[in-house]
Amino acid sequence: MKEAIKVENLDYSYPDGTTALEDISLTIYEGEKVVIVGPNGAGKTTFFLHLNGTIKNPGGDVTVFGRSITSMKLKERIHEVGVVFQDPDDQLFMPTVFDDVSFGPINMGLDEDDVKRRVIKALSKVGLEGFEEKVPHNLSYGQKKRVALASVLSMEPKVLVLDEPTANLDPKSRVDFIDLINHLNENDGITTIIAMHDVNAIPELANRVYVLNRNIVAEGSPRDIFSDWELLNKNNLEAPDVFKLFKVLNCFGYPSDNLPLCFNEAIQVLTSSIEGKEGHIHLHLHEHTHKEINDVINSYNHHRNNGYK
Amino acid sequence: MEYPEIDAFASLDSFIHRLDPRAKIVSFTVLIFSFAFVNDIKIALLILMFSALVLVSSRIPLTFAVKRIRLVFFFLFPLLIIMPVTVDGNEFVSISGISLSIEGLLYSSLIVIRAMAAVTLALIMLATTRFDVTMKALYALGVPGILVQMLMFTYRYIFVISDEFSRMWKAMECKGFRLKANYYGLSILGNTLGMLIIKSYDRTSRVYQSMLSKGYGGRPVTMIQFKMSAKDYVLSICMTLIAIFVHTYQLVLL
Ligand SMILES: Nc1ncnc2c1ncn2[C@@H]1O[C@H](COP(=O)(O)OP(=O)(O)O)[C@@H](O)[C@H]1O
Ligand SMILES: [Mg+2]
Repeated sequence: MKEAIKVENLDYSYPDGTTALEDISLTIYEGEKVVIVGPNGAGKTTFFLHLNGTIKNPGGDVTVFGRSITSMKLKERIHEVGVVFQDPDDQLFMPTVFDDVSFGPINMGLDEDDVKRRVIKALSKVGLEGFEEKVPHNLSYGQKKRVALASVLSMEPKVLVLDEPTANLDPKSRVDFIDLINHLNENDGITTIIAMHDVNAIPELANRVYVLNRNIVAEGSPRDIFSDWELLNKNNLEAPDVFKLFKVLNCFGYPSDNLPLCFNEAIQVLTSSIEGKEGHIHLHLHEHTHKEINDVINSYNHHRNNGYK
Repeated sequence: MEYPEIDAFASLDSFIHRLDPRAKIVSFTVLIFSFAFVNDIKIALLILMFSALVLVSSRIPLTFAVKRIRLVFFFLFPLLIIMPVTVDGNEFVSISGISLSIEGLLYSSLIVIRAMAAVTLALIMLATTRFDVTMKALYALGVPGILVQMLMFTYRYIFVISDEFSRMWKAMECKGFRLKANYYGLSILGNTLGMLIIKSYDRTSRVYQSMLSKGYGGRPVTMIQFKMSAKDYVLSICMTLIAIFVHTYQLVLL
């Protein structure tokens, strides 16, 4: 596997003295889907600013496809790593959608026909064909989010970095956006790195998860991370609802250890485990069941200090 | 949110809409300047009629135009009262000892009529072109890039900031705040505006970061594709001739 992004011993403090990142080291491989979780103020946004060289002179090494980011020219950097920021109003700063989506390609020095082709392609990828002449203030929030993504896709980056892509979206837009990101990863081979809190979406958007809280606290598959309730507890994080529910089912005697993390996976897991038991599974309630359930709830419901009575 | 947009009717179709944006800016600017220096009230009436004619043929809804031109009229209206009183000249009527001069009346009418004609033209120029196109045309005409970029950001973020303000205002009203012209009300209003400035300041740094991540290097980045056709040349030459004619008609007609 080729290394897409490699960060070694990265430190960063803001000019006012706030330490945002401490000794970050991580490697992300080509084609991976990585999610970075961490509470508010953990340094996720700050970290992302390092990945395409927006913060100059990083205190550490950031390597993109084997080359140090400080040695790369602007045009090369934006072709390797594209960052979609959280607030689309920050990212759409030009008068029209066309101007915003063509901004990157024009800066890359492409000729007019190429620029136009890329704008059309990027807009069609996000499902907004024909929106070229619209002005951002007449778009809905979900549409602005998609234009912001298109304005990065038009640079055709190999690595796509998204800061909280699902925040503030309505359920339909959220699902569409998740599908879109997955499509870009699976069909276009774009490596995706995403920061988010939306734990119920993480299983769909991550092969691998990093927990960031100024430094890298943990790394692993979504299942590893969500099984470690102490880790979640310490970093103000949560496990997906489906996962917690199956933990409780385990207490009732549900036979499988392969616990699903999201709704679709739950259907598969349930079906296969029931099939494996010749058409039925047996759940039961014993004396000790209450205590076990209580333990599960207490370990995962640390955000509320009441348990199951 | 509803925005009061100057270019709300830019998508209509008329010969003014179809005029090349650069030609439009140049010829309308020439006309506006020429009209602003007209010194004869009869000519002033003619140019006002001319502007009205252009307005009608641009197909911009009259209510839309009148609403905006009205503002200028209210602003200038006091002149019509003040100048007849203050300018010396032949008295044409005297109201309870205050004499009104004909010269004052004529002169103030001239100012108001000229201004109305110029404003009407400016409105037509801005309202028949999408605002982003106007800005690009300015850049194409050689207006310095830094000014064009300032204009572009102002245009883009005025909406974002006004949304932000209306959200803050709603939140305050939900908590029972009503603006009154007392110390308390004004100090709260001041705080709110201060917050708005701080928020905008934070936003500028985020916008700049996102510009950098798209390869911004200091120059305006737009693709400009305007093409002058014969029709554009003819129309702008005609308008320029009109602009010259209103000042030289004595020479021409003699
Ligand atoms: N422009 C800034 N100046 C000073 N401190 C900042 C600035 N931006 C962020 N910080 C601080 O850096 C830390 C990390 O912030 P951030 O990267 O935005 O976290 P996250 O995106 O994970 O919520 C926080 O403590 C935050 O207060
Ligand atoms: Mg953030």
